Amino acid sequence: MTEINKNPNLLEDALRNALRREDAPEGFALKVLARAQHQNSAAQEAQRASWLSIFSQPLLRWAAVAAVTICLVVGGIYYRNLQRQRAQGEAAKQQLMLALRIAGSKLQLAKEKVNEINTSRPEPQPQNRSPRSRS
Amino acid sequence: MPARPLADSTPDIASADFADLVRRYQSMVFSIAQHFLTDTPSAEELAQDVFLQLHATLSTLKSEEHVKFWLRKVTAHRCIDYYRRRKLPQVSLDEAPEPMSPAQSSDPLVARRLQQFVASLPEKPRLIVILRYQEDMLPEDIAAVLAMPVATVKSHLQRSLALLRDKVIRTMGEVTI
Amino acid sequence: MSTLTRKLVPLILLLAFPAILRAQELKLPPGVEQLASKAKETVEVNMDGPMLHWASKFLSAEDPEERKAAKLVANLKGIYVRSYEFSDQGAYSAADVEEVRAQFRSPEWSRVVGVRSERDGDNVDVFFKLENEKMAGIVIISAEAKELTFVNIVGPLEVDQLADLGGEFGIPKLKTKPQSSKPMAKADKGEQK
Repeated sequence: MTEINKNPNLLEDALRNALRREDAPEGFALKVLARAQHQNSAAQEAQRASWLSIFSQPLLRWAAVAAVTICLVVGGIYYRNLQRQRAQGEAAKQQLMLALRIAGSKLQLAKEKVNEINTSRPEPQPQNRSPRSRS
Repeated sequence: MPARPLADSTPDIASADFADLVRRYQSMVFSIAQHFLTDTPSAEELAQDVFLQLHATLSTLKSEEHVKFWLRKVTAHRCIDYYRRRKLPQVSLDEAPEPMSPAQSSDPLVARRLQQFVASLPEKPRLIVILRYQEDMLPEDIAAVLAMPVATVKSHLQRSLALLRDKVIRTMGEVTI
Repeated sequence: MSTLTRKLVPLILLLAFPAILRAQELKLPPGVEQLASKAKETVEVNMDGPMLHWASKFLSAEDPEERKAAKLVANLKGIYVRSYEFSDQGAYSAADVEEVRAQFRSPEWSRVVGVRSERDGDNVDVFFKLENEKMAGIVIISAEAKELTFVNIVGPLEVDQLADLGGEFGIPKLKTKPQSSKPMAKADKGEQK
């Protein structure tokens, strides 16, 4: 038998066993398909109602299309800039977290080494009394 | 089976594809959620939502491999969102519920305890450990799913394994397997 | 040179000194800088005060790990990391590492940990910088068989913040206080100062 703390592969094997896939609950697939079907019907119904009301008036239809197009263009540019800034910020954040984790792990290594030394050193032996002090 | 572009499917085949995808990947999606949330009703609800989202975006996915990647990515992000929204406390070792299926390892106690220990990890390391050991994914693939640098994934994995090893030794003594 | 000029020049230099002095306190010799070409994996992080401040805006208040990191970096002036991972042992020179260590043998720095292990070749040094009895910086030099890492954190870092860093990232909290006169822990005869 091998101890888990000495053989890291054993821990990984144990994790693979503990985290292996489990069966979904009974009837899961049927529930999903039923909800998907319902979702489809509801979406189609809502879409039909909204389109009918807007496109019954031609002028309003064209105004809506123009307004949406302008919003999309302006919004798209703004969104793209925002996304770029956000991506750069996220990357910087990841760098920061990585640096802190590396620092933390090396401090841990230092502490482990100190602990190793302390546990491996023999207990200090009591000093023998001088023969003169014995009666 | 060669990868087949799903976007080329006709509506009828797409429906059949969706049902097939649900049956094929329900275990994967549910298990990620279950191991992360350790709450079966919540995991089931989350897994259902993932598949409903798949249903809405199926036409944009190009292949079976893409679907698998997409499912893992969406499940992972939904797990984190769900966790933060509900401000679920990290499960302590004594409170973690029993897993749904009985453990099949020669020592069920070890498996059960390990699930509890994993559930006590912070959210991102927890997901990384689940994707690594449930899905057998490489750090590079995990990094792609979670949109993280590979070095960060490896660092999390290394730290998590050390933590888990320490917890096993502290709570179970020197475990023999 | 006039009397006024002679008096003003040192003042000007003194005022300019903080501007020309780099926040990073750790200077890597050319031999270390070149290791990137030999390493199978290199991590280089150079974040000064403004960069730290900007990056910390993207830390999430909902993530407990990131929340603590935000608190930790709030007053820092810089974080600098160089980490090299090699395929084989013997990829770097001990003399280069010693040259870096020598930079911190000055009164303002205290070596609180110095471990030399002949068994596995891992050598770790941790230096604290104190100003007015408060932590003003930390340098960690970790020289392992296949990995070489330098970490320099600059800024008014409280010892309990350092402990939080340890606790948050899964490391037991450090209880050591910087004591330059305390005997250093040594695994073996190893290196002599």
